Amino acid sequence: MSTAPSAPLLRVSDLKVHFRVADRLVRAVDGVEFEINAGECVGVVGESGSGKSTLVRAISRLMPNLPLDEVSGNVAFEGRDIFAMNDRELRALRRSRGFSMIFQDPLGYLNPTQRVGRQIAEALSPDGRGRPDRVRVQELLDEVGFPDPARVARRFPHELSGGMRQRVMIAIALASDPKLLFADEPTTALDATVQLQVLETLYRLHKERNMAVAIITHDLGVVAEMCDRVYVMQTGKILETASTVDLFEKPQHPYSARLVSLSTHRLHGAGGPE
Amino acid sequence: MMPPILRLNNVSRSYKTRNPDGWGSTVLRAAADVTLDVYEGQTLAIVGESGSGKSTLAKLLLMLHPPSSGDVEFRGASLAKLDKRRRSEYRRQVQAVFQDPSSSLNPQMTVEQTLGYVVRRHDLVSDADQRGFLLRQLESVGLEPADHYLTRYPHQLSGGQQQRIAIARAMMLEPKVIIADEPLSSLDVSIQAQVLQLMLDLRTRTNVGFVIISHDLAAMQSIADVTAVMYRGRIVEIGKDVYDKPAHPYTRLLLDARLASNPRHGRIRAAAATKTPTVRSVRLEGGCSFRDRCPYAVEICATSEPVLRPVGAGETKAACHRADEFSA
Repeated sequence: MSTAPSAPLLRVSDLKVHFRVADRLVRAVDGVEFEINAGECVGVVGESGSGKSTLVRAISRLMPNLPLDEVSGNVAFEGRDIFAMNDRELRALRRSRGFSMIFQDPLGYLNPTQRVGRQIAEALSPDGRGRPDRVRVQELLDEVGFPDPARVARRFPHELSGGMRQRVMIAIALASDPKLLFADEPTTALDATVQLQVLETLYRLHKERNMAVAIITHDLGVVAEMCDRVYVMQTGKILETASTVDLFEKPQHPYSARLVSLSTHRLHGAGGPE
Repeated sequence: MMPPILRLNNVSRSYKTRNPDGWGSTVLRAAADVTLDVYEGQTLAIVGESGSGKSTLAKLLLMLHPPSSGDVEFRGASLAKLDKRRRSEYRRQVQAVFQDPSSSLNPQMTVEQTLGYVVRRHDLVSDADQRGFLLRQLESVGLEPADHYLTRYPHQLSGGQQQRIAIARAMMLEPKVIIADEPLSSLDVSIQAQVLQLMLDLRTRTNVGFVIISHDLAAMQSIADVTAVMYRGRIVEIGKDVYDKPAHPYTRLLLDARLASNPRHGRIRAAAATKTPTVRSVRLEGGCSFRDRCPYAVEICATSEPVLRPVGAGETKAACHRADEFSA
């Protein structure tokens, strides 16, 4: 945990993403202030529809494929305005020492017809120049916890379990040596025992690489285990930001208090309006 | 105690699965020699990881799949041999709620049509009384004002509201037991709490029993009277106290995998920096099927398969050679 650095790694100010779904205006992200410092692990919690996934996608300029009504605000990565970059600058940032992203459903992001090793090699050299770097591919697979990297590199995605696929996704994300990793519900689809292993891996990489991690989740247990600091989001707005310990012990907003209570006692807080 | 309403009597169910390389097929035993009693008024939770066979048990209890061997019994009679009258009684008294309400409700039918179909199929009330009856059903699952919901289509409702409709549809036949396969996992936590509370209320009010299939141990701890833990098609532990006093090493492993509910007690940050290798577990022939992951496996575990038997003085049963040592 770094104390009051001069400038945060990522600073989002007054971000708005409004779009139309069937003629209805959706304010998915509605005036969000958000910061991540270098080497920090931050959580974004919220329930479905809170806008948490739209927020992180918008930060990396992945906009929903819907009629956009308004996109405004400022997203600065190391002081550089991401929204003002041209495609080449943005691509450069994604390929080297910028940010990467992993998602809930790795199978949706892996190519089913290519071996895992080739997909990691592609991430290492996106323009396809030079020979595939097998040594580096195996180093990455080793780093995400595969005991037999050479064997896994020859597998197709469907031959791997859910937890192994998520590790492959992490290896691909690490190929650009990012300073910031966004993880959108990285373990939601996994069994509890596998979830624990994947989270342990993420946390170890966060520490070893001094890589900032932003975890988007609906599960406060993930936040309790991983995050230094947390943002609570509901209907496009940040309701509260606090250190993880403070959020659990002194939640300021009633909605945060209810989420915390539900994470400890599953039946408390029931009966409110839907 | 009353005799069980449903009973799995030494039931096995196998599925043929294509091999990943495309050549030939393998027989997968999704349920293996399972014996389990379901009582009215009792909440039975079946927990386990994906692939453990817990949904297979739900399908067997609902007569959606026949067993490969053994018998599924309704009030002492084999489901396969029920006469027409008894079959109809079974269909009324045993109801189902599924994981994803948006796919278990017909998207082309309004709530009134969906529920009205069941009323007419089972001749519950006269046509003239149907509307009033449906309104009372909706109120009893907490959907108010009820007339607001009758004309709605499923896509106009939230996930929690849809699941309440699915529960209302199951409840209107005044069933003795509802089989619910992952009824919470597609819902947000705050909605989960409301649906859990609704199930508790319904049980108090009508003495309906529940069989809830779930991978969420924390939710089941708050609602279950009895919990069965499944691993690779077998019940490895069953009892009232499995959360506080697990007798099987697998139950303990599942409980240990729960994430902290207090950041001061988080283990990941405390223990960081150990490289956890992925474990590719293999199905082993003979002996205990958990032994490849079990930290306590000894010689006997490889040679003899443990059977479900009482542990200590309590009511818990576990299928582990060393269960008595752990619970001592």
